[in-house]
Amino acid sequence: MGTDKKSEPLNRVDGRAKVTGKAKYFAEFEVPGLTYAVMVTSTITRGTIATIDTKNAERAPGVLAVYTHLNMPAIPGWADQPNSNAKLPSGGEKYRMLGSNKILFNGQPIALVVANTLERAQYAASLVTASYNKTEHQTDLLKNTQKAAMPGRFGDYTRGEQKEAYKTAPVTIAADYTIPVEVHNPMELAGILAIWEGEDQLKVYAKTQGVKATQRTLAGAFKIPEKNVQVHSEFVGGGFGMGLRTWPQEVAVAAAARQLKKPVKLVMTRQQMFSLVGHRPYTVQHISMGADKDGQLQGIYHEATAETASYDDFTEGTVAMTRFMYACPNVTTKYRIVPLDRGVPIWMRGPGEATGAFALESAIDEMAYKVNMDPLDFRVKNFAETDPEKNKPFSSNNLKEAYQLGSEKIGWNKRDRTPGSMKDGEWLVGYGMSTGVFGAHRGESTCRAQLNADGTLILQSATSDIGPGTSTAMVQIAHEVTGLSINKIRFELGDASLPPSGSQGGSATVSSVGSAVFDTCTALKALLAEAGLAFEEGTVKPVTGKTATMQQVLATQNKTFFEVTKSSKGGAEQDKYSMYSFSIHFAEVRVHPHTGVVRVKRVVTVADSGRIVSPKTAASQMIGGVTGGIGMALTEEAVIDHRFGRFVNNNLGDYHVPVSADVPHIETIFIDKPDPYSNPMGSKGMGEIALIGFSAAVANAVYHATGKRIRELPITPDKILSA
Amino acid sequence: MKQFSYVRVTSSDAAIAAVSKDKSATFLAGGTNLVDLMKSGVTGPERLVDINRLPLTKIEATKTGLHIGALAKNTTVAEHPLVIKHFPLLSLALKAGASPQLRNMATVGGNMMQRTRCHYFYDTAMPCNKRNPGSGCGAIGGFNRMHAIFGASDKCIAVHPSDMCVALTALDAVVTVRGPKGERTIPFGDFHRLPGDTPEVDNTLQRGELITAVDIPFNEVAGHAHYLKVRDRASYAFALVSVGAALSLKDNNISDVRLAMGGVAHKPWRLKEAEAFLKGKKATVDNFQEAARIVMGPAKSQGSNEFKLTLAPNTIVEALKLAAANGNI
Amino acid sequence: MDDQLRNEEQNGTSRRSFLKQTSLMTALALAPETVLKAAESGLDEKIAAAIETMPLNVVINGVKQSVRIEPRVTLLDLLRERLQLTGTKKGCDHGQCGACTVHIDGERVNACLTLALTTEGREVTTIEGLAHGDELHPMQEAFLEHDGFQCGYCTPGQIMSAICCIREGHAGTPDEVREYMSGNICRCGAYSNIVDAIMDVKQGGKKI
Ligand SMILES: Cc1cc2nc3c(=O)[nH]c(=O)nc-3n(C[C@H](O)[C@H](O)[C@H](O)COP(=O)(O)OP(=O)(O)OC[C@H]3O[C@@H](n4cnc5c(N)ncnc54)[C@H](O)[C@@H]3O)c2cc1C
Ligand code: SF4
Ligand code: FES
Ligand code: FES
Repeated sequence: MGTDKKSEPLNRVDGRAKVTGKAKYFAEFEVPGLTYAVMVTSTITRGTIATIDTKNAERAPGVLAVYTHLNMPAIPGWADQPNSNAKLPSGGEKYRMLGSNKILFNGQPIALVVANTLERAQYAASLVTASYNKTEHQTDLLKNTQKAAMPGRFGDYTRGEQKEAYKTAPVTIAADYTIPVEVHNPMELAGILAIWEGEDQLKVYAKTQGVKATQRTLAGAFKIPEKNVQVHSEFVGGGFGMGLRTWPQEVAVAAAARQLKKPVKLVMTRQQMFSLVGHRPYTVQHISMGADKDGQLQGIYHEATAETASYDDFTEGTVAMTRFMYACPNVTTKYRIVPLDRGVPIWMRGPGEATGAFALESAIDEMAYKVNMDPLDFRVKNFAETDPEKNKPFSSNNLKEAYQLGSEKIGWNKRDRTPGSMKDGEWLVGYGMSTGVFGAHRGESTCRAQLNADGTLILQSATSDIGPGTSTAMVQIAHEVTGLSINKIRFELGDASLPPSGSQGGSATVSSVGSAVFDTCTALKALLAEAGLAFEEGTVKPVTGKTATMQQVLATQNKTFFEVTKSSKGGAEQDKYSMYSFSIHFAEVRVHPHTGVVRVKRVVTVADSGRIVSPKTAASQMIGGVTGGIGMALTEEAVIDHRFGRFVNNNLGDYHVPVSADVPHIETIFIDKPDPYSNPMGSKGMGEIALIGFSAAVANAVYHATGKRIRELPITPDKILSA
Repeated sequence: MKQFSYVRVTSSDAAIAAVSKDKSATFLAGGTNLVDLMKSGVTGPERLVDINRLPLTKIEATKTGLHIGALAKNTTVAEHPLVIKHFPLLSLALKAGASPQLRNMATVGGNMMQRTRCHYFYDTAMPCNKRNPGSGCGAIGGFNRMHAIFGASDKCIAVHPSDMCVALTALDAVVTVRGPKGERTIPFGDFHRLPGDTPEVDNTLQRGELITAVDIPFNEVAGHAHYLKVRDRASYAFALVSVGAALSLKDNNISDVRLAMGGVAHKPWRLKEAEAFLKGKKATVDNFQEAARIVMGPAKSQGSNEFKLTLAPNTIVEALKLAAANGNI
Repeated sequence: MDDQLRNEEQNGTSRRSFLKQTSLMTALALAPETVLKAAESGLDEKIAAAIETMPLNVVINGVKQSVRIEPRVTLLDLLRERLQLTGTKKGCDHGQCGACTVHIDGERVNACLTLALTTEGREVTTIEGLAHGDELHPMQEAFLEHDGFQCGYCTPGQIMSAICCIREGHAGTPDEVREYMSGNICRCGAYSNIVDAIMDVKQGGKKI
């Protein structure tokens, strides 16, 4: 570990459960007396509920309760907090599900029906009717830019000259970029299964990226001690960010279960997931850029304006990359949010950076063409040797090597750089590239190790696995530290009663939890050494000169296992260095000039994310990110009809997540060099960089193919035809 | 879904009787559209008459053409050797629709009867004249990127979503239906209708009538067929615009041609003027473009589907080019 | 009146009105009056269950299942909520994702749009029916080997679909596999590994 030694590709340790259908996701636990909750949602966008009629629903067969704002059991932790957001730009009211007759966004739950079968609950929900007093709503960001406010967390940034240096540079470009609402849409439907085992003992099976966070939220909501809340979430059918919050409807279901004294399960509909579990916010950006004739950047101005809810203040690092990515003396960034009558956004894979990178990396490409340079040479010329924002050295930065490896693989230099010059039959051929970057974060994490007399090692931490292969990576780290055979190591997660860890987000899991595993296993080795034992040849043996076996040592110590628990977090190095993961994406596209169809034909993606702990699952992260990037670039857009404030394509048939036919073979390359400072393994995050920037590589390839610069995603046939 | 009763019938007569005497009853074939609409609350029959076990699945050659039972599955039709040999356009169109799983379930009759995918039609909280006559058309002035450029009315601008029907209309298929009053045939082009003032009525089938078969007359255009479907993702998506083109070519002279479009109207849109223009002419890009120009005359944009005014003629030309070049499939 | 009592009372009236509004009556030899009387005297739960449900006999993974269900129950909900065969997944409930793919008489279909009663007398195979004891099906093995999944939620549907993709003869080239696997969405984006897994099984030539 922390060396140049490469890790072995390992099949997922939980793979068997997944391919046999034995892996159980939250909605799949068999619970006696289970009841089913179904939500009824508002059909207006702003106003109040005038009347709500639940009689027919209550009388329908099998119905146990119909909750509305009129009879919803109080949620003690909510009732405590002031019901206003005076500090937010909106200054609006807080959203409390079924807490009042106020409607703050379309699709807001107005009733929760509980019945003894799913079909009966669904039918009864269809019988609830409501009348409203509508007031005017605002869902269109472009019509509400006057409300744009600077959020506390992301202030304006300027380096170099205040005056807009880019305007006086010999070569300038300026343009606007638009990202639509995108929705995480993990394949598993969202929801929760809540069971009260006594008045103040709650057990939930949840779809969450943070079992501890869910535990805290629920404990806070019901004002019970955290230890009284059991949260189980061993298998999670994808999250991509939507599982970073415990959503109000999940709390409401727990409240219903408490009052009914019955287990209640909510599985949301796909439609509801568009409004109630977050999304990537609609964002408009402006970038102006100035450079010398020889391609040296002089100034960048980057401004982003994104939506948030009227009742919550959502922010993300949209302009972060622009501040440090290139060696540019004058940089100004601004970030604004606009409160709208919509459900609140939440970080979506590659959060704000993916939005920002689309604009920045498109602009970089445009500028390269404007100064008549190859976009790759342009990036190398403006390469930042040290972080110009923080004025610190990078902990590691192998971008130049990544540029080279990727460009060789895709045949970058063999292309004709002139836009519109390459053809394959009727189809125009284009190559594009871009860079992605995301902070290499490390949080605090704890791991418990239990080495049993039979030589099996159990490791535990309250982390999650929404798909990246956490257990597999952890087993691999433990294996590499101890030398114990893989099949003797088991990693347990997804249970809030395990030693604490942070939520799975921001690509920090391997770095944070992995470090805890690393430190715990290292401590375990020391413990064994004291007992005259050591890991050897895949098992535990007496050290030279000793004869007592592990079983004997345990017997004399009157124990059945050795146990070590260690917490781990980064130290001073975290402040000394600027730590980032980088990705370079190369895409080759075909564009049909007459139908406007764009197809991604080939992808080479290079990750500079430190040492690769688990090569197989890491490669999957990269292809997954690229696939998400193809969706962002070409197909994904959730549309609101602003007349109604309502989504008009909130389903998987009309919101186009890429299908297999959209995705070519994807080649992944890892630099696989340990970062000397990130953590004991030398790893850096990878889930986000896999997607960040990819959409720009496609847009740049489309430009190369057609000479058309599309600055509004997704690049659907209509945009090619009308550009 | 509300409760409904369910009967499984084994004879067409029983099926017709069950549906014609009960206003709230409806046929259930593959269920891929009906069950979806019931779940969405768009329709709520109280009685389902399961016709899946009726003996209407045959695909066989007759003296004049091919006879396809109304309950033949979309996959079976698409993969059938006689279909591939004589009517490759139909096979290609079917394969461009839905997904392999859905095609295994969907039937010929159900595919013809499938309702529009207009978002406002599906969302019961939105106005829609087709779902709820008189409530207004949500798509007019709204998000109508997928909507019609031909034959729309001020009541409804929806499109018929089927791919199969584009091929069947081009191939001059004839629909056989049986009802309480006996059997009749309907030329495919007359089966679906334009919305006019009654968009709630999709087609000319009468209450209680059961589609029993589709017959396609043999033709000369099997040698050069192409179905070109332009959509927002590479597969498993409805058409923005699709074109079915089939040609009979001798020395690059067009002796016969069939041309129809999907995704542009409330019914599969046959391009007869284009066919008439092309017949007897050379298969050249210029002629294809002129043919496309001729049929685009009455096209009208609704706002967000403006691009279809460019995409539709372009797709006609591309489909003809590909059909001409393809030889056979 | 306490809550429970009130609930029961309401359910009593509701049953009656429910029976009145449903046209189920016509389907049955029972005279509506008899049933309504029964509803009044509290016998309705049993009668309702009897008239609202129908028998279904279906073989699932080789096991004969005889159940009574409401006609509106889909095969997917029957598997997941009643038979505890939760390997088959729900991702959309509207035929738009393929997570619910199962085989009926050997053909892949979407269980969410299949009313369970339509499977009377048929054979259904789900992901749970593939492995023989500890021995995985070659397609399961290949998915494991090629890391053809991440979160695993779409995986059962992908595997059921993949088996048919080969059986139907649509695994000739990677591009053909891509097209014929496009009815199964994988949001984690494991497609390129899934294609490799399928090509591998196809080339391995094992009977599947
Ligand atoms: C996600 C998704 C994507 C799809 N994509 C496409 C696509 O790209 N292209 C495309 O063409 N289609 C597509 N479809 C639609 C699909 O082709 C239709 O749902 C299908 O063809 C309907 O056939 P069915 O047998 O399942 O009909 P059912 O759902 O059983 O019935 C539909 C209607 O037809 C009536 N009916 C059925 N059979 C008869 C009969 N013999 N006589 C009289 N009435 C009858 C029924 O009463 C019902 O009203 C898609 C569907 C879904 C769910
Ligand atoms: S276009 Fe037709 S189907 Fe769509 S909303 Fe208007 S009336 Fe309804
Ligand atoms: S759950 Fe059946 S297709 Fe999505
Ligand atoms: S593995 Fe997660 S959706 Fe496919």
